[in-house]
Amino acid sequence: MALRIRPALGIVAGVALGLLAGTAQADVKLGALFPFSGELALLGDESWRGVELAAEEFNAKGGINGEKVQFLRGDAVDNNQAIAEARRLISVEEVKAIFGTYSSSRSQVASQVAELAGIPYFELGAVSDDITGRGFKYLFRTNPTAKAMAARTVELITEVIAPRLDVEPSALKIAIIHEDSLYGTTVAGFQNEFGAEANLNIVETMAYPASTVDLSSTILRLQQNEIDVVLQTSYQNDSVLFFRQSHEAGFKPKAVIGGGGGYSLVDTAQAVGADVIEGAFNADVTQYAINPEAAPGIEEFVAAYQAKYGSAPRSGHSLVNYVGAQVILDALAKAESLEPDAIVAAVKAIDIPEGGTAEGWGVKFGEDGQNERATMMGMQWQDGKLVTVWPPEAAVAEIRLTKPE
Amino acid sequence: MTVFWQLVLNGLMLGGLFAIISVGLTLIFGIIRLVNFAHGELLMVGMYATFLLTTQLGVHPYALAPPVVLLLFVVGVLIQRFILQPLLEARDHHVQIFATVGLSTALINLALLLFGADIHSTPAYGARTSLTLGPFRILTGHVVMFVAGILVVAGLHVFLQRTYLGRAIRATAQHRHAAQLMGIDINRIYIITFGIGAACVGLAATLVAPMYPVSPTVGTYFVLTAFVVVVLGGMGSLHGAFIGALIIGLVDSLSGYYIAPDLKEVVIFAIFILILLVRPTGLFGLGRGSE
Repeated sequence: MALRIRPALGIVAGVALGLLAGTAQADVKLGALFPFSGELALLGDESWRGVELAAEEFNAKGGINGEKVQFLRGDAVDNNQAIAEARRLISVEEVKAIFGTYSSSRSQVASQVAELAGIPYFELGAVSDDITGRGFKYLFRTNPTAKAMAARTVELITEVIAPRLDVEPSALKIAIIHEDSLYGTTVAGFQNEFGAEANLNIVETMAYPASTVDLSSTILRLQQNEIDVVLQTSYQNDSVLFFRQSHEAGFKPKAVIGGGGGYSLVDTAQAVGADVIEGAFNADVTQYAINPEAAPGIEEFVAAYQAKYGSAPRSGHSLVNYVGAQVILDALAKAESLEPDAIVAAVKAIDIPEGGTAEGWGVKFGEDGQNERATMMGMQWQDGKLVTVWPPEAAVAEIRLTKPE
Repeated sequence: MTVFWQLVLNGLMLGGLFAIISVGLTLIFGIIRLVNFAHGELLMVGMYATFLLTTQLGVHPYALAPPVVLLLFVVGVLIQRFILQPLLEARDHHVQIFATVGLSTALINLALLLFGADIHSTPAYGARTSLTLGPFRILTGHVVMFVAGILVVAGLHVFLQRTYLGRAIRATAQHRHAAQLMGIDINRIYIITFGIGAACVGLAATLVAPMYPVSPTVGTYFVLTAFVVVVLGGMGSLHGAFIGALIIGLVDSLSGYYIAPDLKEVVIFAIFILILLVRPTGLFGLGRGSE
């Protein structure tokens, strides 16, 4: 029964939303597909705020040949709903393109609907590499992926840590530990791949379930193998556990590098203590403690956000979506028409050099639709704050890493 | 060799943690014959209570054991009286189990609403200090949990064997209808038992809170292991649960090191299934006739 009721509810909700949206006379209709309710709602909404700010700014500048763009929201609360809402936006609202989606799984399914309908789909925030690995013609992704994260963690070892410890990168004993869902497994896979290319000595790779309550055996193994550098890809619970139990076991590797997740959250630092997490590196999307010269427009973004929502941005999600939407909207203004193929041609023509956006990276789409210039930033926990330290032009603080006596 | 003994020590301490969490579950499981899927969420409630009281009043989490135990006792009594008891006479006993599943989901979402998805850390007040014993390291908080686990099991054993109420509880567990004929108010016994079971979780919560940050889903990290411990030890057997917990702790610690951390659950459940095949009643279960 439940299965038969849900589409009906979806249609009712869709019609209601459609009526609401219909009252605002939009010149150019675009879809914004994010999880606005459900468990991902907080960061889904934070992502949407970036798109909303980009659209307001774009309309204030004159829009597309004087026509304003209007975003119609679709609520991708789960995968089924993401499909239903993508269909509604395309066939009922007749949007010219869809922007989204924050969640990788929602993006996977919704972009499939758009591809079949021949409507351009712009992914601004989902990180799973598979999304752009399917040979879609109308799918483009502006944000960096798990691959970029792994590349940055390996680069931190070869370019930052080894030189400062005054050793060859291949002389460091490296261990990769990661939670065993898609996120940790994907990042760890690329870390192994790039690590082998860089000739790193990766001693072992260990996976564990993110819900684990004890990592003492894993830490003991790292200790016994005299690991110098630990790469961890983890959520919050397991990040806290690793730092606490390493500290308690007296395990002090020369460096620890995280990959987003729990390493990017202030709560993690509070839970383990600023002194324990001090010096830990992290590769993730651009955060706000960054040199504004390397991320032109970031200060204006924060000011606009503050003015509209009355608080500082709650996470980096709004910024990455803002930059992505801004870049795509500018391309739409230059397109010959708003027919799908004209949009694709305009988007493929985008060429923004590195350091050209408020994210710090540039934009140039590859054959698969992935932005090849999107990168992650290298950050470090210093005095309880996560600050950008790498690459040097984006850094706001000196790297803290001293050679042990 | 040092590594091996450190692993054994870690395993025993982890076992102590599982034991203190599982005691309440085995009591409810054994006496009321109810699989309480909201067990982990009771732990979560206790941990939030400990977190709030510790940070607001600035007292040691251990000192909060009496109020939190009392709070959880009351919560347990209310759950049994107003949610489970009305379902006791339902034609299908499984209705009660589904009620606890619903309660679990409701409590998690209530916590999400009140506290958000972020983690909150209870100040440790020294519970996370490592003690060095020769080449070995051990956390004070783990030692406290281990000792508390033994004391709770021993205390409950004495209570169930020696007191009038304890005998009434055991009688109810052995034969509900016969107990009723002997003049025992079984509804009252169930309410008290659920209350005591929940109170044990309250004590566990005050001991676990300084060791692990609390979040709405913290209970789900522990509850599956707690079920394994209870079934392994033998449903309703208190010392069985304690020994079952130590076995699971040791297996977790040793297989995490010698095999692989992502395979330790495979090893735990393989042993679990093996023991059940050989002894379906669990290690210290009383066997079929005990109902």
